[in-house]
Amino acid sequence: MSNGPFALWRWEMLWSDKAVIFDGFVTTLLISILALLFALLLGVIFGLLGTSDRKTLRMVNRVYVEFFQNIPLLVQVFFIYNAFPFLGMRWSSFMIGVLGVGIYHGAYVAEVVRAGIHSIPKGQFEAAKAQGFDYLQMMGYIVIPQTIKIILPPLTNQAVNLIKNTSVLATISGLDLMYQADSWASQGRLSYGPAYVVAGVLYFIICFPLASWARWYERRIKSREHIQLSDNAKDELMMMAEDVL
Amino acid sequence: MTIKKLLTLALSVAMLFALASCGSENEGVQAIKDHGVLKIGCKEDVPNFGILDPQTGEHSGMEIDLAHMFAKEIFGDESKVSFQGVTAKTRGPLLDNGDVDMIIATFTITEERKLTYNFSDPYYEDAVGMLVRKDDGINSLADCNGKVIGVAQSATSRDALQAAATKLGVSVTFKEFGTYPEIQAALQAGNVDVFSVDRSILRGYLSNDLTLTEDKFSPQKYGVTTKLSNKTLATYVNDLIKKWNGDGTIAFLVGKYNL
Repeated sequence: MSNGPFALWRWEMLWSDKAVIFDGFVTTLLISILALLFALLLGVIFGLLGTSDRKTLRMVNRVYVEFFQNIPLLVQVFFIYNAFPFLGMRWSSFMIGVLGVGIYHGAYVAEVVRAGIHSIPKGQFEAAKAQGFDYLQMMGYIVIPQTIKIILPPLTNQAVNLIKNTSVLATISGLDLMYQADSWASQGRLSYGPAYVVAGVLYFIICFPLASWARWYERRIKSREHIQLSDNAKDELMMMAEDVL
Repeated sequence: MTIKKLLTLALSVAMLFALASCGSENEGVQAIKDHGVLKIGCKEDVPNFGILDPQTGEHSGMEIDLAHMFAKEIFGDESKVSFQGVTAKTRGPLLDNGDVDMIIATFTITEERKLTYNFSDPYYEDAVGMLVRKDDGINSLADCNGKVIGVAQSATSRDALQAAATKLGVSVTFKEFGTYPEIQAALQAGNVDVFSVDRSILRGYLSNDLTLTEDKFSPQKYGVTTKLSNKTLATYVNDLIKKWNGDGTIAFLVGKYNL
């Protein structure tokens, strides 16, 4: 019987223990979805702060973004897991997955949102204000709908990164896909070959469709903008023609 | 990506694996002589077995002494050893990919593991124990209903404790970690209630707030491990361990380190 890391019997063993890996897959999926929602919530709030006219609010955005973007996620996760209990806060590894990873990626989402809002031409804001819109109406009806279109592709990339990053939970016994695969691999006969391949494939199955969709959507927007631009050009021409008349 | 491109990619990945599994293997002790130094995988965080002094960079312990003795037999020079720190998790793969010639790292002999590696006769026997927080009131496994037990990945302690807990009718859950210091940190932070590995290893993690219970589960026998395909080396190693077991050398080492 072959004893290589990819020997057939190791795959058979993995197949008979597939429930463990599936458990990890479901946990990873659940943590990813909740963490993503949390990151979006934080990202929109702090992204809006970043585009505020008030300096203090912009400062709050900078502090949050710079702090969480410039410290490795692994360090943050270890700190929450091992040091928070001494400060009287014990987070379960599931909570660290949702909140910790959510806060970390919230910083990236905030940057995407901020950049997206900045890319909307000033005239749109001015026009909204001129029409008597208040801040929330202006953002809700005019700015955000235009922003979403622009930021959807980078946001999707953030979602993909978030899903992959939940794998750091394996280091704090997080019961996620990577933890279960790693734990299974290191038992008894050390079948790390198939375990890591399957874990990789499962992450790929979640992430690849998202990434592909983002690329497809980006292309579609670009081709649409092209048409819109020519529409605008037509309108302008029409108006010019009316002026002449 | 087109189907054709995907196929090309799959094929190159497959070829990579095929290449990796090739390469001729120079069997036995001669291979070690050829590369001029004995490469040993040892523990660096287990006092009296294998511990690295971070200040001097020196390794010491019973298993380190054994490594030097092997070097003396092979080269006639006990200093011709290079040490590579391993954990329960990494020692298997390091042996498989040829980074080390032998593992002497509190490696417990099990029937299942014998299918994957060559083990020598045992040079030490130990039992799985439990390290707990002093103020927690845990005196034995019987007090552990509903508790979380931290174990090392790829160690035998999980199976040993699960079996003992089932017998007692106690329900416990397990959390696995990569290294021992991580489990100690989790124990002190309260993320786990029990730190369980071999007792000799646990003794290295005793501190003011932690204490070792009297529990002893499934005696563990440590053996020197070599790559499964390298039968000549395995025989060579085993003959020496047999000799040292017989002439009292190993008993002397056990005494030297108070094991």
